[in-house]
Amino acid sequence: MRGVTPARLWSLGLVAPPLVTALLFFLGPLIYLFYVSLHEASSTELYGARFTLANYAAVFSDPFYFLIIKRTLATASWILALSLLIGYPVAYVIARLPPAKRMLVMLLLLFPLMVSNVVRAYGWVAILGRRGVINTTLGDLGLIDAPLSLLYSTQAIVIGLLTILLPYIVISIANTLASMDTRYQEAAQSLGAGPVRTFVHVTLPLSAPGVASGLLLVFLLTLSAYVTITLIGGPRTKLLVSLIYDSVVGFQWPQAAALAFVLLALALVVTALILAIMRPGRVQGSGR
Amino acid sequence: MRSPQGDVSLIGVRKTFGTTVAVNNVDLDIPNAAVFSLLGPSGCGKTTTLRLIAGFEQPSAGDVFIREKRVTNVPPYKRDFSMVFQSYALFPHLTVADNVGFGLRMRKVGRAERDKAVREALALVKLEALADRYPRQLSGGQQQRVALARAIVVKPAVLLLDEPLGALDKLLREEMQVELRDLQRRLGITAVFVTHDQEEALTISDVVAVMRNGVIEQLGPPREIYERPRTEFVAGFLGASNFVDGEVAGREGENAVVMASGRRLLQTDPSGAASGKVRIAVRPERVLLGAPGGDGIPGRVTHVIYRGSVTQFHVAGETGSVIIYVQNSSPEAQRFKTGDAVTYRWEAGSGVVLAQGAA
Repeated sequence: MRGVTPARLWSLGLVAPPLVTALLFFLGPLIYLFYVSLHEASSTELYGARFTLANYAAVFSDPFYFLIIKRTLATASWILALSLLIGYPVAYVIARLPPAKRMLVMLLLLFPLMVSNVVRAYGWVAILGRRGVINTTLGDLGLIDAPLSLLYSTQAIVIGLLTILLPYIVISIANTLASMDTRYQEAAQSLGAGPVRTFVHVTLPLSAPGVASGLLLVFLLTLSAYVTITLIGGPRTKLLVSLIYDSVVGFQWPQAAALAFVLLALALVVTALILAIMRPGRVQGSGR
Repeated sequence: MRSPQGDVSLIGVRKTFGTTVAVNNVDLDIPNAAVFSLLGPSGCGKTTTLRLIAGFEQPSAGDVFIREKRVTNVPPYKRDFSMVFQSYALFPHLTVADNVGFGLRMRKVGRAERDKAVREALALVKLEALADRYPRQLSGGQQQRVALARAIVVKPAVLLLDEPLGALDKLLREEMQVELRDLQRRLGITAVFVTHDQEEALTISDVVAVMRNGVIEQLGPPREIYERPRTEFVAGFLGASNFVDGEVAGREGENAVVMASGRRLLQTDPSGAASGKVRIAVRPERVLLGAPGGDGIPGRVTHVIYRGSVTQFHVAGETGSVIIYVQNSSPEAQRFKTGDAVTYRWEAGSGVVLAQGAA
């Protein structure tokens, strides 16, 4: 055991405020929320007096909940796959720009995020809706007889969320690529690796931290997105967050709390999965 | 036009970055199985020269040859070389064995043969036991050895080393210099070694090229570079040197007779054609300190500095300010104090007449 030195007191003092805040406003409520989720619903109180596991049992026995969880994961998987597939090449190009230009392009990437999600979601409604731009154009050209149902589908949600979330993964990967020591690529080339093999064997694995943090951002933002999902997904394409909202509106607070924990569990499992696959730690703090 | 010879040749190579000339018309044949050092201060063009050989930079003019094959427009990964970087650039996501095997894997060498070669290379640098570690788990010296093993395992035509020992502490660096030299001799590999450390260049090289402002100012074996510097820059860069101005009064055998402060001094004249006003360089350890009287040049001690193996005397003399090293094993080292009147001189041939006009 080390004694209490001024340096330790000082670092403790620096850590204390965020630590106390986290305990008071995050961990505390979370424990309380869990406590709530273990009770029956009440029409007058936040939760009823009786202790029950029914709220969790409902999630695991009701095929409707199962369907929603499956749809949530499927949507998130599509978004993760597409954001990586589209985002990586974009990030690769951006990372190779000179610093001043790179900064400018990143700002441009962030520009759409300055428009409210609500406005953007309605933008998609205007494009994909029954009387939206696509349907009226195709109709006018005589290519379709009846409007296509483009909106209110998983695909529509994927497209809507992708346009919001792509900048996060692009910036995350571009930063990692831009800060990567070019000596690694040169070392690979000096050992006979051409551009493709240098990318596959060196650049790609070394960009794992950026890919992992980008995927995590996209995934967690997908799970918590509400406005876009509600407006583009409509009443029929619900995801987990929509169910939580519905439960709250129906005064089923304990059920909403239980669903919140299911969502949290999903987030933790997928996060662990992403980290296990990408293993960003293996390329950090090393090489020299 | 000159034809290329040996493992590496540069012919009329020039490299500019914008308006800056980094390498200016360098002609070079690097002798086979030798360590060739590019020595100079930062910004002299030594690293750019190395990168031109590697192909990481394209020459603005001139040609690069590896094993007499023109590679000027050949990309780095198709050139027959390997490189040890100053920062080692070990792949952090690969084990030591996979790092060392990387070049063989890229050359599509089979698994069994590759494993054998990797084991042998690791044995050469005495790291067999660490094959399964990751670079971050190694010390700086161990990482350096892995980088070396990774470079030699592919048996390149030329091994390029970009200040490979710069990140190590002094003791380890001196140990590695000897080890590197030994390894290079055993493998008979041609090596180009970039350094700004003159002692390192002298220790490790068969041939040293001293670079300055993009040109090679002098090229030769370490002893020649140190003892027969052609210019004031080379004399000064290779360690402390005293400069004395004089005038050539004639010749005596190999030496030029130079008159300085009314004295007749015999000096080595590498060009054999010195005339008129000249500048002479004399190494501090070549200057002999003595009591007043005799045929020495009179002066007065201004500083005495104890430096471990030698004592360094600063003397204000008739030829200007002079630095003199006296071995501490000799009683002379403690004979004189600050303020003492002394004389100094050097043997015939100890001083070198520097090239004129190249200050």
